[in-house]
Amino acid sequence: MASVVAAAPVEQRGNLRGDRARSRRIVDKIATGALWSAAAFVVLLLAFFIVYLFVRGASVISWHFLTGFPSSSDAGGGIGPEIFNSFYILILTLIFTVPVALCAGMYLQEYAGPGRFRNFVQFSAESLATIPSIVMGLFGLLIFVQAFHWHYTALGGALTLTLLNLPAMMRVTQEALAAVPTTYREASVGLGATRWQSLVRVILPSAIGQLTTGVVLISGRIFGETAALIYTAGASVSFGKSAYDFNPFHTAETLAVHLYQTHREALVPDADAIGSGSALVLLVMVLIFNITARVVGRRLTIRFTGKA
Amino acid sequence: MVESQTSSHVGMTDKMKATDLNIYYGSFHAIRNAQLSIPERRVMALIGPSGCGKSTFLRSLNRMHDLTPGARVEGSVTLDGNDIYGEGVDPVTVRHRIGMVFQRPNPFPKSIYENVIYGPKIHGEKNAKKLAEIAEKSLRQAALWDEVKDRLTRSALDLSGGQQQRLCIARVLAVEPEVILMDEPASALDPIATSKIEDLIGVLKKDYTVCIVTHSMQQAARISDFTTFFLLGELIEVGTTSEIFTHPKDKRTEDYITGRYG
Amino acid sequence: MTSLASAPRSTAHRDERIARSILFVCATVFVVGITLILIYLAIAGTRLFFQFHVSPLTFLFSNNWDGADGQFGAAPFIVGSLVATAFAILVGGPLGVAIGVFFAELAPKRVAAIFKPAIEVLVGIPSVVYGWLGLTLLVPAIGQVFHLVDGDGLLAAGIVLSIMIVPTVISLSEDALRSVPDAMREGSLALGATRWETISRVLIPSASSGIAVAVILGIARAIGETLAIQLVIGNAPVIPGSLLKPASALTSEIVMDMQNAQDGTAFQASLFSMALLLLLISMGLILLIRFALRKRT
Repeated sequence: MASVVAAAPVEQRGNLRGDRARSRRIVDKIATGALWSAAAFVVLLLAFFIVYLFVRGASVISWHFLTGFPSSSDAGGGIGPEIFNSFYILILTLIFTVPVALCAGMYLQEYAGPGRFRNFVQFSAESLATIPSIVMGLFGLLIFVQAFHWHYTALGGALTLTLLNLPAMMRVTQEALAAVPTTYREASVGLGATRWQSLVRVILPSAIGQLTTGVVLISGRIFGETAALIYTAGASVSFGKSAYDFNPFHTAETLAVHLYQTHREALVPDADAIGSGSALVLLVMVLIFNITARVVGRRLTIRFTGKA
Repeated sequence: MVESQTSSHVGMTDKMKATDLNIYYGSFHAIRNAQLSIPERRVMALIGPSGCGKSTFLRSLNRMHDLTPGARVEGSVTLDGNDIYGEGVDPVTVRHRIGMVFQRPNPFPKSIYENVIYGPKIHGEKNAKKLAEIAEKSLRQAALWDEVKDRLTRSALDLSGGQQQRLCIARVLAVEPEVILMDEPASALDPIATSKIEDLIGVLKKDYTVCIVTHSMQQAARISDFTTFFLLGELIEVGTTSEIFTHPKDKRTEDYITGRYG
Repeated sequence: MTSLASAPRSTAHRDERIARSILFVCATVFVVGITLILIYLAIAGTRLFFQFHVSPLTFLFSNNWDGADGQFGAAPFIVGSLVATAFAILVGGPLGVAIGVFFAELAPKRVAAIFKPAIEVLVGIPSVVYGWLGLTLLVPAIGQVFHLVDGDGLLAAGIVLSIMIVPTVISLSEDALRSVPDAMREGSLALGATRWETISRVLIPSASSGIAVAVILGIARAIGETLAIQLVIGNAPVIPGSLLKPASALTSEIVMDMQNAQDGTAFQASLFSMALLLLLISMGLILLIRFALRKRT
């Protein structure tokens, strides 16, 4: 054993009050303060935005505004058809996105072993996820508007948004499935069930809370999407009853696109008011989606798994 | 309530002393009214079945419970007569003087050298030559120098479990503490690595006060001078190791020693 | 007793095979999708060079832009995108990492319960609303502070982008820090380090690859952002003399001029070339992320 040198005398290392560590304690306090300030700054910023949006937009909101037709040159236009289109495209997008992403996520989590195919799919998903929404919009323009000759349609917009949101939805699925304990799978398979039966009867129900939360949160993002829709679903609505069209091939300006168009062209004298009102409606919708996602997700989790 | 008996031995000072120590996790009363003196430059072993609170007790000796939300420590723990939980005491300095080695080796994902000099650097040593000296001295003290002297810049995570644990010990030694707390330091290691650590403890006690939690009675018997028996949060008995293992005073201690329960 | 060999005939197994095939097809949608996008955009994006004989070097490096008039030097937009993104990551990056550290290491449960949903709301705000906020709040404010007629430009765009990427950086840095084992924290503190010393000398270095990914994804988000900056950047197709003069970026130019460019013209082709450039930059960032993650093991 090598020789050992005795520890230095107590006086050299400072008493318990830590006088020699004072500057280090000060640095610690400053750093802690800086981190708290950063967080508080961002939260206060958000609070400020919300208050500002309400203050600017509240006076504009009225039944007429929410249901009336937009005007292309006069004051007093409404956003009724735009709200309709936002929901219409949202639902259409979900119809395509949720099943495909759910199935793909199930395949990757429950069936595919680690290997080339899985890597390909993950890499494709990551690539799709990083594509800027405007680029996706241009792709939609190339295919649906030009190649298919559909011109601007809600369907074209929905399909473009599907491509845009598939990666996020698949990740939601994968995470929700991964959160289900392996013991459930083992128990089910041990009873003689096939993998598909286990998935449908045991695993999916357990994951449904987290899945729903994810779907509703992504819905919020779809509702606010603009860049991918301008050149696929268009920036105009038909006048009159035909604006509330259930035909997926109608040109469908959503609320978010309308907000953009209003400020871009600034043709109407009350563009400012319309913008404020539209922005507020968008914000309120986002808040509703966020809150719903959490509440419904939690309820479903309790209902299906018996624990919070 | 058990009176601490170690300091009744002639010629030994108490390095640390716990008085009326009660530790709570939320509403759970984990340690009840513990009184214990830890003599200087000796090895004190804490034994007892799983969940009896020995690790909880150990962690109160260097204020690790400060990090656990919901943990509350009442009573006093003194170092050389000064209460480490007193007013105005700096926990950072407490941990400088009372070091700890954990059950699972936890080297930082840095080089071996960077691991060892982490402590001294933080405490203000800037001179590169001095740091190198400290590193070599500590690694020698931990009986690791010969094995790593040619690869100090390599990652600490490349070492075996036993080597990592000795690295963690070297890391603590580099800070020059007075007391070294060890929480089952060899339980994650194979028998050969374990015996190396035990030899090391035998050498360390010449200069440091060591307090070690162990679930192995054989280990306690091999390496410690004094032994304390815990059961369900209570300090049942304390005495010299030979006394505890050959003539335990409390029946519960005797039952544990003879293997009645876990 | 049923023979074990008769099992494959059952309906459960047939369902299993059908289900598996459907799920497999859905997974391939991703691969097909990205491939189609790459192909279509490569074709549309290179038309400017092959059909209209504009040199790629001119496109990338020339300062001379007049889309309607046959001048296709896209350097102003490239520079605009790069500068706005750089600003965003220099401001939003450290801010996001700091708040990620805050959530992972400092925030008590009750505070986190309020702050975290707040950050989630920030994520949910549509980019067009950020653009509107920038237009109605930030641009006039910059105009006031700097005594300008119009406050739009790269500064406004940079600030808006910073705020938009902060939540992304926060959540990824927080995840990276949380995945550092507690044993590291205990080990450092037991050696007598302060909490900040533990964070700066042990935890952040340990989480460095995750934090790098957070920053790279922040960059990706910033460079791809369209609506928010189009409303505040000024849309002048020139490299501006300062952060306070009107400028332009790749994304803002595309969204603004796509409706003006007739189908089949070189003008439209040039916009597709910009889209292709953005696509290539995004793919490049993904490869960078994979590289950063590989470096850790």
